[in-house]
Amino acid sequence: MRLSRGRLTAVGLVVLALLGFVFLRGPTPAISIKAETIQSFGPVDVTNTMLTSWIVVIIIVAIVYLGTRRRDLVPRGFQNMFEAALEAFYNLVVSVAGEKSGRRFFPVVATIFFFVLVSNWLSLFPVFNVIGLVREDDHGFVMEQTDVGPLPLSWVALSGPGNLSADSIDEDDADAEEQAAAARKDGKIVGELIPLFRGPNTDLNTPLSLAIVSAIAVESWAIASLGIGYGKKFFNFGGMFRGLRRLDFGLLFRGVIDAFVGFLELVSELVRLISFTFRLFGNMFAGEVLILMFTFLTPLVFTIVFYGLELFVGIIQAFIFAVLTLVFGMMAVAHGEAHAAEGEHEEGSRAMAPEAQS
Amino acid sequence: MVFLAEGGIGALGINLPSLIAQLINFTLLLLILGWAFKRFLFPLLDERRNRIREGLDAADESKRRLAETETATAAEMEKARGEGQGLIGQAQQMSARIQEEAQGAARAEAETLLERARSEIQLERDAAIADLRREFADLTITAAERVIRRSLDRKAHRELIEEVLAEAPQGGEGGDNQR
Repeated sequence: MRLSRGRLTAVGLVVLALLGFVFLRGPTPAISIKAETIQSFGPVDVTNTMLTSWIVVIIIVAIVYLGTRRRDLVPRGFQNMFEAALEAFYNLVVSVAGEKSGRRFFPVVATIFFFVLVSNWLSLFPVFNVIGLVREDDHGFVMEQTDVGPLPLSWVALSGPGNLSADSIDEDDADAEEQAAAARKDGKIVGELIPLFRGPNTDLNTPLSLAIVSAIAVESWAIASLGIGYGKKFFNFGGMFRGLRRLDFGLLFRGVIDAFVGFLELVSELVRLISFTFRLFGNMFAGEVLILMFTFLTPLVFTIVFYGLELFVGIIQAFIFAVLTLVFGMMAVAHGEAHAAEGEHEEGSRAMAPEAQS
Repeated sequence: MVFLAEGGIGALGINLPSLIAQLINFTLLLLILGWAFKRFLFPLLDERRNRIREGLDAADESKRRLAETETATAAEMEKARGEGQGLIGQAQQMSARIQEEAQGAARAEAETLLERARSEIQLERDAAIADLRREFADLTITAAERVIRRSLDRKAHRELIEEVLAEAPQGGEGGDNQR
């Protein structure tokens, strides 16, 4: 019986998935929302996400250095690729915000985009979440250990047909201490694996810091464009005071509504911070957990689908974060311009009124 | 810092030192990239854009000039064609005139030649007639000598015969009668 190439591939994939399921299943992954601390320096904990974000910064700076090193007018090779990516993004920003504002917004928007993108894609490398330091404890993974020169090396043993999952001791087990003692007696080491590398955006601090920078940039663009008058967007009590002074109930009512709208604007700014933070964090953390769980369940074949999905989610989230910053910047600048135009109109109306009365 | 305490939102991992560290980290990157964009990328993009714009302008200018040149060439060609036609007309007229002149000259020459031929023929005839007379006179004398068997003074007889012949009507007028 001859098998077609498609069927052979399907059979091969199933066999590979089964082999992975039998021999490569790790212990139940320990999922922690908080980033794990690698080393503490006084009050500052150097976490794995922090370390990864430094690597991301170094990678981006290296790419920018390599891309801008030659600066040929007719680019070739890496410079061509680098400039094509940057120019595509620059054209997008300029098409949304116009030439003048686009050039002002671009550094912030592009930095956010490329930082988030590189962070998200870098965290798909297989060294993430699987290589790290071991902190000995009464629960966690049961690992083999040996010494490589002066350094101790621990690893999780391969699973097998008799034991379909690598050993681990759950924290909630009543006899966790006994299990740990028995394992140690066999020359094994019990403890938590603290990954050296973890996606920066799976730590709330990173998306929050990006959201704060984004908010500061948006507000600074608005203030630079409109001056201190931009504050009226949030603290608009002028109408209310005018109404009180003139004892005009209609004016007072409109003033109260304006003040309330300003308060809502202020709240929306804060809500925007939170939505920015949790959107990115949620998507990336969920993606990481998904990949970890599928690597645990079916180490081979099926995980690839989720890697593809995460590649897509990674670029989409970077794009959303950057473009939302751009759009909010545009709105802040446009809002002020509209207010300025409205103010001019009001001034014009006031100037016309005495003439009409006379 | 209740907000960031372990039991509150701190349980999600938010803590101030990490947040500040990430802020500094990202701000550093932002400053570096902002500097690189302003120092390298924007001038390069501007220069390239200017070059492209100049190239396009030059292409437009070339197209415009080409169109102008084509128009001028077409006009010149039209003019040259007109001039050529005029020259051809003139040449045809001139050739017709030259042909006519040549024909006239040839005709005149032919007439001249014909006239000359006629004159020569006339002269030849006159000479022949004169020869014939002389021969006839000689024959007559010879015959007369034989008849009278004595020699006469040839010169005297010749003069006598010439005189008679001179009195006789000329060849053109009475040639047929003499024969």
